Amino acid sequence: MGFGFLVPAFLAGLAALAIPLWMHLRHRDKDQPYKFPSLMFLEQLPIRTSQRQRITDWPLLLLRALAVALLVFAFARPVLTRQGIAGTDTRSKAVVILLDRSASMGHTSVWPAALDSARRIISALGARDRVGVVFFDDAAEVAQRLTEDKGAAAAVLSSAKPLPRGTRFAPAMRTARQMLLDAPYAAAEIVLISDLQRAGTTGIAGLDLPSGVQLRGVNVSATDRSNSAVRGVDASRISDGTRTMLAVKARVSTRELTASRTVKATLILSGREAGTKTVPLPASGETVVTFDPVVALASAVSGTVTLEGDALAADDSFFFVVPREDPLRVAFVLPEDASGEETLFLDRALAIGRTPEITLDRLRAAALNAAVLRDAAVVLLWDVTPTASGAELLEKYVSDGGGVIYAAGRRLGSQRTSSSLAPARITGTADRLVDRGGTLTQLHLEHALFAPLRSTPEALGGARFLRYPRIDAASGAEVLARFDDGLPAIVERRVGSGRVLMLATPLDALSGDLPLQPAFLPFVRQLMLHASGRDAVPLWRTTAESWSLPDAVRDPVVRIPDQSLLRPKADSMGSAVPLADAGLYSAYAGTATGAPGAYLAVNVPSSESDLTPIDPKELLLGVRESERAAVTSGAPPTNDELERRQNGWRLLLIVVALALLGETFMSTRGWRAVARRYRPAMPERSEP
Amino acid sequence: MPAAPASFLDPAMLARISDLALLARTVVDGFMHGQHRSMRKGASLDFAQHRSYQPGDDLRRIDWRVYGRTDRFYIKEYDADTNASVVFALDSSGSMDFGSGALTKFNYARFLIASLAWLSQHQGDRIGLATFVGDLVDVVPPSVRHLQLLLHTLSRTTVKGTSQLVHSIDRLGLVTMRAGIVAIVSDCYDAPDRIGRSIDALRVRGHDVIVFHVVDPAERELPGDLPITFEDAESGVLLPLRPDELRSKYQTLINAHHLALSKRVAAAGADYVRVDIDQPLDRALHAYLDSRLSRSRVR
Repeated sequence: MGFGFLVPAFLAGLAALAIPLWMHLRHRDKDQPYKFPSLMFLEQLPIRTSQRQRITDWPLLLLRALAVALLVFAFARPVLTRQGIAGTDTRSKAVVILLDRSASMGHTSVWPAALDSARRIISALGARDRVGVVFFDDAAEVAQRLTEDKGAAAAVLSSAKPLPRGTRFAPAMRTARQMLLDAPYAAAEIVLISDLQRAGTTGIAGLDLPSGVQLRGVNVSATDRSNSAVRGVDASRISDGTRTMLAVKARVSTRELTASRTVKATLILSGREAGTKTVPLPASGETVVTFDPVVALASAVSGTVTLEGDALAADDSFFFVVPREDPLRVAFVLPEDASGEETLFLDRALAIGRTPEITLDRLRAAALNAAVLRDAAVVLLWDVTPTASGAELLEKYVSDGGGVIYAAGRRLGSQRTSSSLAPARITGTADRLVDRGGTLTQLHLEHALFAPLRSTPEALGGARFLRYPRIDAASGAEVLARFDDGLPAIVERRVGSGRVLMLATPLDALSGDLPLQPAFLPFVRQLMLHASGRDAVPLWRTTAESWSLPDAVRDPVVRIPDQSLLRPKADSMGSAVPLADAGLYSAYAGTATGAPGAYLAVNVPSSESDLTPIDPKELLLGVRESERAAVTSGAPPTNDELERRQNGWRLLLIVVALALLGETFMSTRGWRAVARRYRPAMPERSEP
Repeated sequence: MPAAPASFLDPAMLARISDLALLARTVVDGFMHGQHRSMRKGASLDFAQHRSYQPGDDLRRIDWRVYGRTDRFYIKEYDADTNASVVFALDSSGSMDFGSGALTKFNYARFLIASLAWLSQHQGDRIGLATFVGDLVDVVPPSVRHLQLLLHTLSRTTVKGTSQLVHSIDRLGLVTMRAGIVAIVSDCYDAPDRIGRSIDALRVRGHDVIVFHVVDPAERELPGDLPITFEDAESGVLLPLRPDELRSKYQTLINAHHLALSKRVAAAGADYVRVDIDQPLDRALHAYLDSRLSRSRVR
């Protein structure tokens, strides 16, 4: 026979035990202490601790504490439960089957075993027992609510199949918990049928199961856990004379193979086979497969690297998308007197890196015209202001989505000029030679401009700037970083669909040492990508994430891996698509015809390739101890029986009343009553 | 010396008399009943002796006749039966507001001072009063016409606060510049040696000091036999204890205190009178009168 509480939250009231303790510590005689002329001599006496002890009446204190504790227990509604093993009884109960359908369950020997386990559990239930079925992967789906119709429950099993998704137990357990809370039950059990991959346990810590619910894990993992999988792909465009080639490398991992073996790896680009390689696989470890470069289209290329099938096919294919070869062209506007030494570091830094490649088109301010702007993704004004006509063109260019960067230096600082387009006004030059240069502080690391530096926020802090222009941020502009003297260092303003940035941080090595810092290269590259509105796009993402569709794809329609179409709803943050399945996602503008506006490759998490199961007992580690201890089994109790099991609170209230009566009697009778009214008796009169 | 009728001096009876003047008169009349009236009036001077002039002596007191005969300065000294200045110092701290019987120590002390003042008035002395707690509170300068003012001040004095007995005694010397009698009425909760040093200072100024140590029987006995919390009447400090287990040790301490106090006061050349407030006032009056008479020869 077990013991629990219907409303355990009331147990917090046990803190009220401090009240009688506090009263006794304050001492019962404090209301009427015996006023004595002076304690001068009494304080000199060695008084035993027991005499100083404030708690002088332990029986009364214990009685009062007992009354308070019993009152709290009564409010918590104690209930008696009968304990047993739910799986072995044949009487009515509620069972929720959680069936794992993640990618790893697609192992040839696992999925049939999982279905068999589920069917056995259903068939073992009694006629009045209820059963529910939940399929889960990254998320949970209720396939069958609690029902006595075992046939319906078995039927939904036949509709299940492994999906290219990850594994998470927590959503499934919470779903089962909610199903059991929605329907009254006398005995309940949650049966988790899974290959019990460790990655799935994320999030079950602190899981709160209702009292009387038993959680049982059924391990259906394969005995032969040998597996090979494609873990990642590196694809980049390289130049081969006049052609652009696509070089693809794939990383293949193997686990627990009985012996090293050789498999064939196939590269598929845009739906067509582009190469094969024979790969020797070690028993355990990783191998890099390098495919021969192939001629690549300028547009985005979707690809797949596939290994020869093994028992788990879901991780033998790896999807990726190489963005279109669209070098980011920067109109690099230079002043007349600019030297090559000034821009040397910037030139070199931007020349490094692919996807996308950044090209600089050097020109003078007077040469800035509509044709230049049509081809440029970013206009970089190197310590120079545009001409009047150029400024007008730039305003329209930015409104249409272009990016402009003012790299302010000594020239602009001395001219103190500014334009309406600039996000800040230049008021002069700050000379920090005397204090060995200023540094950058107050970086808004959450801003996209500093995305590559978030893990090393101190990287930019090491740079020192000897001279830089003083700038005041214009209205509506955001200060992204400041110098240590409080002056703005980097300011950004959104104009229409584009953005304008002003950097007071010198990008040359003459006025500071920023170009000599390791952070310079990722910083200037991200500066260009951010100004152009094109952030670096990963070659793939994993399931359970979300894809924020680019603004360029208006009224988007998305074709998901199972070839069905999805029309995501747009909100203030734009449109987003949940990436439930692994595969290729294509976003179209308006209708799903023609060339997609955007591609995205999605793969299952690499943890799905690890087939090593955990001990089923580990599932219970995260579940609260008090909740899983009590399990009931037996016939559903009648209303009278339920009422009888919860009758404890009435008994407790009676005991509380008796305890309070006893307390009243004890404190008002006998020596305690004398003590309450006690005034020390007059001493015997001594003869003078 | 015949004993005074107890009915006039019994503290329980005195507690029912609210008028201090009436009370004092009742006490003194009862006390003086059957005793030799020795009150001396006037300022008669009887020659005592000559002594050599010392710088600082009053030039008016030089006996010019002797100078004419001997060509030396001599001072004439007299046995002077003069009116003395008597200053009563009343401890009105919180510890005095205690009484296990009909009277508190404070009320007993007030009755005592009123009676002594009445007695002194009829001796022709100048009487004054100083009440003190942490410092002097009310001061009535010594005067032959201040009896009513003294009694009125006594009647409106209340007990409150923490006593600074030694400091207050030190300040008493400033009340009157003229040497006289200082009668300190207190429960003397301080170190005997500290009290003695303060009395030494008064003695140096030429004062005769008499200490009336007011004691309640409960202070001697430590009453009670059940666990109880004692509260310090002045500081409010609480101390839970079992009196029956501590009584003997406490009595040893308090008796040692009384003995040390009496010895130290006597060593300072002052009179020590322990006044138990469950006893009639006559013992205190006798002690005072003896002290007063011993001072009758002043120079």
